[in-house]
Amino acid sequence: MAKQEPILKAEDLSKRYEDGVLAVDHLNLDVHPGEVYCLLGANGAGKTTTVNLFLNFIPPTTGTCFIKEIDVTKDPLEAKKYVSFVSENVMLYGNFTARQNLDFFAKLGGKLELSKEDYHQVMRRVSLQERAFEQRVKNFSKGMRQKLGISIAIIKDAPAILLDEPTAGLDPKAAAEFLEILNELKDEGKAILMSTHDIFRAKEIADRVGIMKEGRLVMERTREELQYEDLVKIYIDYMRAEPLTV
Amino acid sequence: MFWSIARKEIVSNLLSYKFFVVILLTAVLIFTSFFIMHRDYKQRLSDYHLIKPKPDEPIAVIPPNPLSIFVKGLDDAMTRSFEISVIGVDVRAGQESGNIIFSFFSAPDFIYIVRVVLSLVALLFGFDQVSREKEKGTLKLMLANPLSRAKVLSGKWMGNFLSLAIPFLLVTLLGFVLLIFDPDIYFSSGDLFRLAVILFISLIYIALFLSLGILISTLTKKAAASIVILLFIWAIVVFVIPNLGTLLARQIVDIPSVRALSEKREQIWTREVLLIYEDKDRIAHFQTIHDDMDKLEEDYRNKFSRLIKLSKNINRISPVASFIYAVTEIAGTGIGEEDCLKRDIIRYKNNIFQDVVINKKEYPAFNYRYRSLSQIFVQGALFDSAWLIFFVILFFALSYFAFVRYDVR
Ligand SMILES: Nc1ncnc2c1ncn2[C@@H]1O[C@H](COP(=O)(O)OP(=O)(O)OP(=O)(O)O)[C@@H](O)[C@H]1O
Ligand SMILES: [Mg+2]
Repeated sequence: MAKQEPILKAEDLSKRYEDGVLAVDHLNLDVHPGEVYCLLGANGAGKTTTVNLFLNFIPPTTGTCFIKEIDVTKDPLEAKKYVSFVSENVMLYGNFTARQNLDFFAKLGGKLELSKEDYHQVMRRVSLQERAFEQRVKNFSKGMRQKLGISIAIIKDAPAILLDEPTAGLDPKAAAEFLEILNELKDEGKAILMSTHDIFRAKEIADRVGIMKEGRLVMERTREELQYEDLVKIYIDYMRAEPLTV
Repeated sequence: MFWSIARKEIVSNLLSYKFFVVILLTAVLIFTSFFIMHRDYKQRLSDYHLIKPKPDEPIAVIPPNPLSIFVKGLDDAMTRSFEISVIGVDVRAGQESGNIIFSFFSAPDFIYIVRVVLSLVALLFGFDQVSREKEKGTLKLMLANPLSRAKVLSGKWMGNFLSLAIPFLLVTLLGFVLLIFDPDIYFSSGDLFRLAVILFISLIYIALFLSLGILISTLTKKAAASIVILLFIWAIVVFVIPNLGTLLARQIVDIPSVRALSEKREQIWTREVLLIYEDKDRIAHFQTIHDDMDKLEEDYRNKFSRLIKLSKNINRISPVASFIYAVTEIAGTGIGEEDCLKRDIIRYKNNIFQDVVINKKEYPAFNYRYRSLSQIFVQGALFDSAWLIFFVILFFALSYFAFVRYDVR
């Protein structure tokens, strides 16, 4: 079977911030449809920067991000049609109900004609409690907000999903539920790039795992390879190793 | 998408507690102002009916302007009675003019509320537009969609502008409807049109401060930081600069004090009166008194006009001053209108001197015709309105450039 074109692709991607920090260092990475790619790495390794580069929030210093083969710096608006984004700990609009929040972002994502039932269905799918649907988000717990965050991503129905530490701060059960949803999305053929600190869950869900250190992708393993290796050990070994020489 | 964002802003305002408090407060202020100014107007109207000259009295006095309910301006000064005596000297016009501009920004009229309160309200609506979305993480979420920053910003602008403008217009309209229930108050169709223009310019003024607020929000990362900047700018623009020009101009233009002026007049008077006793041709002496005083008056007025012009131009650095100039002139209570009135009164006095003193005719009645809207616009209001619009565009453009560079993370 011929391999499909990757939906997310970073080519020779670097980012040096104005203060001189090289946050991403000549990174190459791709994510195919129906694949979950987990980015691991210590604090400050450059994971968030990579995600921000994909969303064109910051311009790259070198290299290019492609979403569905569209160069995101050249045509950001076209590229963003094909990507959903879940950030860590988003507060959303506190005065709005869950459905109103969902409705607003669905419209921005180009879904203009959805009914109340459609929204309820998506929220049911992420197993947000029924009584919360029409409640103001102000008093939601972090887990509830994160569920709403993923339903915003789901409703856009884009082929690529970027997630930046989506399970940070969730309790084990909520995190497991969250990853269950990701698995479903993957089965629907979405290309998923997720940054996380959760090695165990990464191993469970990821089709490929990449470890970043000081902006570089220092290791990449597929699910098959990981069956014979201990990801935790690899991770810790890489973290222990001497700082990379530049 | 533009309207999705605008709609979101409106709904989110409607759902917020802050919005209702602010709108309620504004409504209370506007109604109170209408009430106070309405009573003030009626008082002055009945005063006018008392002092209204009989056909044979050489008195120039105009009725209070009904639009002064909304824009008081110089209406108090303009509706004083100007008695013209036989020698034609006693034109009181200009005597109290020395502090025109100081007394200019005070009455609690509708325009005062727009100028001070609504500008602050508009700033409050704008100042955290961008920084708050950043703090909540919704800015990233929004911009992860196929949506340009220009659309985000203009959608926010429009949503908040409508959230301000619609309640503002409704409250004003309601207050106005209550006013016209009073049968003593009559607004001509011309007045109504002028009022509509004043409202329109008020909306531009509100838009200006909203844009300024949004600009501040794109320049700051934290809403808490922008509120300090905002209050500072507001105070400077609304209170300091519009008075600075007046003080500065006074240093530059040399103008005789009112005391010196009346001293001079008395000298002329005494000199000629003494001569009258020795001379047969009294009329000639009256003529001299008349001419000399006219010259004195003319000289003073010219200097004074220079002072006004200069302070106006300096004050215009702040669009707030432009706003005041535009709306007062349109209402017919501005500096320009006052000047026209006084020139008319001088003309009237000269007529009296000619017709009555020399030609022994009856006293003519004094009639003042306010300048037309087109004259008003040509003589400055057009510039002032354009200047306001320029600032709206400038602030919006600046906030766009700042927002494009804004760090959304
Ligand atoms: N706006 C910025 N200006 C300058 N340097 C920055 C900026 N944002 C991040 N950095 C630096 O870039 C490097 C990578 O940061 P990044 O946030 O991408 O790491 P991360 O892998 O997401 O870390 P974490 O696990 O803590 O979220 C860090 O050294 C950080 O200090
Ligand atoms: Mg991060």
